[in-house]
Amino acid sequence: MKGLFSNRLVIAALALPAIAVIVFAMIIPIGFSVYYSFTDWAGFGKYRMVGAENYVTILTQDPVFWRSLLNALILMLATVFLQNPVAFALAALLSHLGERFSRSMRTIYFIPAALSLVVIAKLWVSIFNPTYGILNKVLGFAGLGELSTSWLSNPHTALGAVIWIIVWQGFGWALLFYYTGLMTVPDEIEEAARVDGAGWFATYTKIIIPYLFPVISAVIVIDVISSLKQMELIFLSTEGGPGQLTQFIAVYLYQKAFVAGQYGYGNALSVLFVVVAICLTILVQRLLRQEGEE
Amino acid sequence: MSSAIVDIPEYAAKKLAKGVLYALLVILAFLQIFPLIWVFDYSLQKSGDLFGPDILKLSFAPQWSNYSRAFFDGHIPRYFLNSVIVVSASSVFSIILSFCLAYAITRMQWKLKAVAVLCVTIGMVVPIHTTLLPNFIWFGYFKLIDTHLGLIIPYIAFTLSFNTLIYIGQIKTIPTSMEESAFIDGASWPRILASIVAPMAAPATVTVGVMTFLNNWNEFIMANTYLATDDLRTLPFSIIKFQGQYSSDYAVQFACMFLVALPPLLLYFIFSKQIMAGAIAGAVKG
Repeated sequence: MKGLFSNRLVIAALALPAIAVIVFAMIIPIGFSVYYSFTDWAGFGKYRMVGAENYVTILTQDPVFWRSLLNALILMLATVFLQNPVAFALAALLSHLGERFSRSMRTIYFIPAALSLVVIAKLWVSIFNPTYGILNKVLGFAGLGELSTSWLSNPHTALGAVIWIIVWQGFGWALLFYYTGLMTVPDEIEEAARVDGAGWFATYTKIIIPYLFPVISAVIVIDVISSLKQMELIFLSTEGGPGQLTQFIAVYLYQKAFVAGQYGYGNALSVLFVVVAICLTILVQRLLRQEGEE
Repeated sequence: MSSAIVDIPEYAAKKLAKGVLYALLVILAFLQIFPLIWVFDYSLQKSGDLFGPDILKLSFAPQWSNYSRAFFDGHIPRYFLNSVIVVSASSVFSIILSFCLAYAITRMQWKLKAVAVLCVTIGMVVPIHTTLLPNFIWFGYFKLIDTHLGLIIPYIAFTLSFNTLIYIGQIKTIPTSMEESAFIDGASWPRILASIVAPMAAPATVTVGVMTFLNNWNEFIMANTYLATDDLRTLPFSIIKFQGQYSSDYAVQFACMFLVALPPLLLYFIFSKQIMAGAIAGAVKG
């Protein structure tokens, strides 16, 4: 029977096609990216090898690169400290209510996560539109008309508006994760706390939140990575503007390569993006694992 | 008797608190989907009417013609068909390939398994956007740029890792003895996989299928980068197209947005349970 599961022909037939697709569409392209990142190619015509010049320029003389990392950091903080607590609180409320009501609520909260990012982006571009957008109309209705502005092109509001779109879109995910986590908390733990005379606040902060640490840390890992990887919603709303204020790295490398005609430079950004993404994933997982063990 | 007197107000207060809670949650849910209601509302207006101060408009003459214009001028039938072709092909292949790979990783014993697992891990971490630039050149060698196949291949690649992880989780729960006894009975490998393992992995297939379909249906940036011919483009483009062509005809743009949002919404309402389960599984394993 041992031979059954070590038949080489079968293993090759099962594993090779999938591996081949991953190698062809993901791993080889990254190899190409590394190669072109050492050139000054414009995307057409001749090019020459320039060594690490692109990387040196990005790291030492490119404020937009650092700005895009800073924006990812701001987005991450907004997600972790604003979106997550609200999502957790709502999930906690829903977990105490009837299953039918709670399920219909969860279904509604999750709708934005099921929609195409093109629809989401255009939806919010319309809402923020200064002439027919609903936000300015609501403000006018509430007597706050002087706050009306062109939300996505005003340098003071653009980043906030973009972050709002992303946070809104991801809210359903966060709620769902926390709800599912809360459902795994054994009833006995909660009951024991109640018998000991703990109020609901103490029950949550002392018992449930520590119990859910693995879930919370998993959500934070996802938040960190997805903050870095944002692209479509920015690409389709502000395109990084005004004045690169809402720039994110994926939009930036795209524009460099396909709009500014700096294909080599764009690839260097792309390689740095992969490196940062991998390092961040490892780092965040390490940090949270350590904390969980303490 | 005395306890009853104390109990009634407490009970009432609890009921009231619960009522407030329910109301709060419903209001928040309403706010969450209000943008969609707004889009639908405005999509039935005349474009010129959208500039007034009204937040929502009650129209006694809904402009359904906006929808027919969005449908035909937005090339929705053509784009829809393209989306169906690209997304169905990539989903079917992604499901089959990831099922096979997951089986090889969970059940089979081989030396290079670690390499396969590494490939799957890389697939989870690499952002789509970092392959956009090099694929433009690399796919160009194979004349894959501006073809449906050039979109189908990366769509398979970027969903494989997630799907493989889901399948691994499912296949682990199937007892090995089933396959072994089938093998003793003389069943061939394709038969064992197709008629014993695949049916037992069906719950994972539903999750994987719906998630893959939804992700690829909503994918925009690769389609935007690799496809140049209008006749090949996928559904999200109708929104972009409209913006250029009917830049001031907002109501028709809104109708178009609603039409594009409709298929994933329907899918979501039918499969919300599987989609939510898939989202969780992907997050926990990723």
